[in-house]
Amino acid sequence: MSHHYVVTAHKPTAVTSCVTGNFTSPSDLNLIVARNTRLEIYLVTPEGLRPIKEIGLYGKVAVMKLFRPQHEKKDLLFVVTLRYNAMILECISDGENIDIITKAHGNVSDRIGKPSETGILAVIDPKARVIGLRLYEGLFKIIPLDKDNYELKASNFRMEELQVHDVEFLHGCANPTLILIHQDGNGRHVKTHEISLREKEFVKIPWRQDNVETEASIIIPVPSPLGGAIIIGQESILYHDGITPVVVAPPVIKQSTIICYAKVDPGGLRYLLGDMAGHLFMLFIETESRGDGAEAVKDLKVELLGEIATPECITYLDNGVLFIGSRIGDSQLVKLNQKADENGSYVTVMESFTNLAPILDMCVVDLERQGQGQLVTCSGAFKEGSLRIIRNGIGIQEHASIDLPGIKGMWALQVAGSNQDNTLVLSFVGQTRVLSLNGEEVEETDIVGFASDQQTFYCGNVVHDQIIQVTPISARLVSAQNKTLLADWKPPTDKNISVVACNTQQIILSTGSALYYLEIHPNELILKGNTTLDVEVACLDISVLGEGTTSDLVAVGLWTDISARILRLPDLSEATKELLGGEIIPRSVLMASFEGHNYLLCALGDGSMFYFTLHKDSGLLSEKKKVTLGTQPTVLRTFRSLSTTNVFACSDRPTVIYSSNHKLVFSNVNMKEVNHMCSLNAEAYPDSLALATDTSVTIGTIDEIQKLHIRTVPLQESARRIAYQEQTQTFGVVTARIDIQDSTGLNPARPSASTMAQSVTISSSVGSLGISKSSSSSLLTSQVPDYGQEVEVHNLLIIDQNTFEVLHAHQLMQQEYAMSLISCVLGNDAVPYFIVGTANVNPEEAEPKQGRLLVFHWGDNKLTQISEKEIKGACYSLAEFNGKLLASINSTVRLFEWTAEKELRLECSQFNNIISLFLKTKGDFILIGDLMRSMTLLQYKTMEGSFEEIARDYNPNWMTAIEILDDDTFLGAENSFNMFVCQKDSAATTDEERSQMHEVGQFHVGDMINVFRHGSLVMQNIGETSTPTRGCVLFGTVGGAIGLVTQIPQDFYEFLQELQDKLSSVIKSVGKIEHSFWRAFHTDIKTENSEGFIDGDLIESFLDLSQDKMKEVADGVGMTVENLVKMIEDLTRIH
Amino acid sequence: MSVTQFLEGLPSYNVNNFTKFHVDNNNRSPLKRPSVYVPTKDYPSEQIIVTEKTSILLKYMQQHWDKKYNAKKRDVSPQSHEPSRKKPRTENTRDTSRGDYGMSMNDF
Repeated sequence: MSHHYVVTAHKPTAVTSCVTGNFTSPSDLNLIVARNTRLEIYLVTPEGLRPIKEIGLYGKVAVMKLFRPQHEKKDLLFVVTLRYNAMILECISDGENIDIITKAHGNVSDRIGKPSETGILAVIDPKARVIGLRLYEGLFKIIPLDKDNYELKASNFRMEELQVHDVEFLHGCANPTLILIHQDGNGRHVKTHEISLREKEFVKIPWRQDNVETEASIIIPVPSPLGGAIIIGQESILYHDGITPVVVAPPVIKQSTIICYAKVDPGGLRYLLGDMAGHLFMLFIETESRGDGAEAVKDLKVELLGEIATPECITYLDNGVLFIGSRIGDSQLVKLNQKADENGSYVTVMESFTNLAPILDMCVVDLERQGQGQLVTCSGAFKEGSLRIIRNGIGIQEHASIDLPGIKGMWALQVAGSNQDNTLVLSFVGQTRVLSLNGEEVEETDIVGFASDQQTFYCGNVVHDQIIQVTPISARLVSAQNKTLLADWKPPTDKNISVVACNTQQIILSTGSALYYLEIHPNELILKGNTTLDVEVACLDISVLGEGTTSDLVAVGLWTDISARILRLPDLSEATKELLGGEIIPRSVLMASFEGHNYLLCALGDGSMFYFTLHKDSGLLSEKKKVTLGTQPTVLRTFRSLSTTNVFACSDRPTVIYSSNHKLVFSNVNMKEVNHMCSLNAEAYPDSLALATDTSVTIGTIDEIQKLHIRTVPLQESARRIAYQEQTQTFGVVTARIDIQDSTGLNPARPSASTMAQSVTISSSVGSLGISKSSSSSLLTSQVPDYGQEVEVHNLLIIDQNTFEVLHAHQLMQQEYAMSLISCVLGNDAVPYFIVGTANVNPEEAEPKQGRLLVFHWGDNKLTQISEKEIKGACYSLAEFNGKLLASINSTVRLFEWTAEKELRLECSQFNNIISLFLKTKGDFILIGDLMRSMTLLQYKTMEGSFEEIARDYNPNWMTAIEILDDDTFLGAENSFNMFVCQKDSAATTDEERSQMHEVGQFHVGDMINVFRHGSLVMQNIGETSTPTRGCVLFGTVGGAIGLVTQIPQDFYEFLQELQDKLSSVIKSVGKIEHSFWRAFHTDIKTENSEGFIDGDLIESFLDLSQDKMKEVADGVGMTVENLVKMIEDLTRIH
Repeated sequence: MSVTQFLEGLPSYNVNNFTKFHVDNNNRSPLKRPSVYVPTKDYPSEQIIVTEKTSILLKYMQQHWDKKYNAKKRDVSPQSHEPSRKKPRTENTRDTSRGDYGMSMNDF
């Protein structure tokens, strides 16, 4: 059977809708952003947007509207999901806590009905009397918002208009009145309908305007007293109030199509318009007095304000600041200025919000060769096209490096009155060296009061402008001003100091099992306590927790009994003792405070670490947990980054420990090995870290502390396919840019990666192969596009793997689209090639009849075309297959040999598909993903040199991505946002049974998956883990989410299933949609319960529950909270 | 009218909003996501949205019949003194025999 675990590693980032209003309280101005299934609530503050809460819905948001019922002081949120779940949400806030109340909910789908082609439209009457929904063709659904009835009865009205492009409610009408744009054979028309709630009918048509512009697509209802509506078209803007229409055709809007608007003034005289090219306009209604005292619209003015990210939605926040929500680029916070800048723009971008959507392709690479994958995605489209490098963990940007082997410890100091670090103390076996940092210069110096012929155990600035140095012999107090020795404390016995810990006022040190507690005073060190423990001390800590400058507690890790203890100061009495078990001694112990919670961290000699909650007053430890960080002894050091305290675990797998949502998060660092580290805030190296490896010291800055780190490489044109070529250290990227035909010919619409490449080559537009032979398509290559027409131009880019510079761009022929790309070696030829599969696209043909396979080699900074093969159709995908080239071309799958003459020669073909879109291979097996006939498995018969169809899934699935999980198990994603698993049954008794693949798993993802790739974002197989997962397939979606699918054993699956059931009842769904409804496999033709998959997102939300709810869940599945938390935390570490 | 005039007097709900905004030069906060809301308290909905299951064709026939019947009743009642209640009875029996539809038709 099949058992899988699916979880989101990076939540969707495409913004589909945004609204502004008073949601969390009557006085709060909120921005609410919808990203696929997530709603994010922000508060507008003087500092900018403050995140309040993120709400997950069991459904993809189709429409989101804020509205205010009469006599209410704040707004309510109305949401309809793609599967027709409607809900009215209210926010109740109580200080910092907020609660989202589902005031009303229900499913508004009809049993029959043709879903409207223009999508789901929902509108709310300005007086909040009714909600109108356009869900199915020929019908309009009205939900009257009665306060008094328990049931809100939605009823269908017959709407004779088909193809409704937009609908709104008019303002200032006695009865709710709709206005809509609809299309028929004659063009587009505007019509109004007055609604009678009693008769459940449209009762009259107050006014209509036939034959408005043929591309009119947006209605903006104008508030009272003006009333009426603005109709936005491709070239013209119309205002109509049923009496006199006013039309304008401003030339600035013609270039592109307006796709969204935002109202600026509550009175509705100014609107912001955004178009597909990312232009922001302001529309202004000019009025004049009509004589009877009322105002009438005189003119409409449109002005270009500047450029923004390609918008999907715009909303006005406050004081000239807007939020631009983007689906295909980074969303923005922008400010409108009254004065234009040097580029003539009235818009400044204040902040950008990273968006990976849509992910069209991606590859997993290990550029740093550390056994950890990075993901490089083709993201965005048009001018927002980019590559995104997504890495788990934290990066260090190296600024300087000094070769110094054998470092045993390292500290930064402020010497001689400096308020920044200007000295670095390095400790070696038997000596200590001091480096002074002078600007970027580093030179060796000495501090006279230091013992430089000893190894330093600890060194640091302390109170009263002094410095402490602790060596095996003594603790030395040195003046920070003149660097002279002020005091020297030696242990009373002649034993050497073995371990020490220090803060700015206190020192704790040990000689074997004896402990001494000293306080630092002006010019002296005073012994305040001592004790002898039963066993020897292995590590110590005296860090100050929270506010204050001294610590009341000492943490000790011990040899022999392998324990961690907390002692009280100054008497060194034992507060608590925790036996760690095992035989590995603790090597580093640290008390640290994260997000107001105190922890004791205790790292062992094998790279594992225990951590406890530390109760500051009692010194007691609780909630013991263990995590594996590396395989070598680990040293824990604190550092500050962006005003939060974090811990750096130095080991063979350096890790940063921080807290997020009151949970500790362990994020690895992109360095191979770090033995020691210290914070460094020097003049030339502000907010930096100094990191010591076996051979050198590196000074660098650290990325923002977060789990997934994303770097953007803007291309400013659509990236479609990516392939990595390790041998040449390059990426091949297929892109499409838009060129516009003007008087001088075809010219790029804007500078972009392919026009700014270091070198450019162009495929001859005549084509060296027999394009002239074929009749119909021969004309098109020489055809000149119409003036002003936009033409897609495809390029193969060669991009450096380190700098991400575009080294070369190779432009394909006119109307030749690059469809697929791989990097591979073929046959006995050791040279790596980039192979591009193309299609000649002729708008008059139903499907491409011609294309090419192009074989390129990148070497010596030159791109050479090695071979070219004409094919009869579009090459949708390519794969390397046993040294040969496998290509899916229209309905066929073809195998090409690579001959000694470096040519592709057809070996065999398979024909039994509609359109074979995707190919994956494993051994002799080939998996084909078809446009509409799900998946087919082929086997290549080496002896016969032919394909044999082994098995097929006979369900009609429209595929968007496929992957081979193992020899018998195949993963598919289809275009209704589901994924499923098919298995072949080789052991079946009859041929017929063997030839059928069985769907053994199905799951609703809620987002369209464009690509599956084997690989992982985290280090593999480190230490012990309680979660037996096998394999890992990453996926990228249209909404910009990254997820993963992994196989799990049956017993674990059954346990998680039980846990999932329990969680789905404990965690209440906002909008009251059942979890099982949400995850059910759902298409136009069937809905079946999810099976074979565990919803990892729900499982992981266990960690966000309160303690008592955790207990309730844990009791329900017969586990302790502690074990369950550990298990789920382990599960979160697979991504 | 110039763009500057266009942009005059943009709405302000709180003059302080965005005044202390400062751009992080390092651009170290590309993705500030709010904490996730995990509700465990069950608040019953005040209202439920129910959608009418009758197809609009049936609804239309119902309304049409109602009108016709009402009209007929007005037409017929003054003249017909015979106890001819046969027609309504058949309608009633047909109604109940239709089960679901009968129920939903009675709703309207």
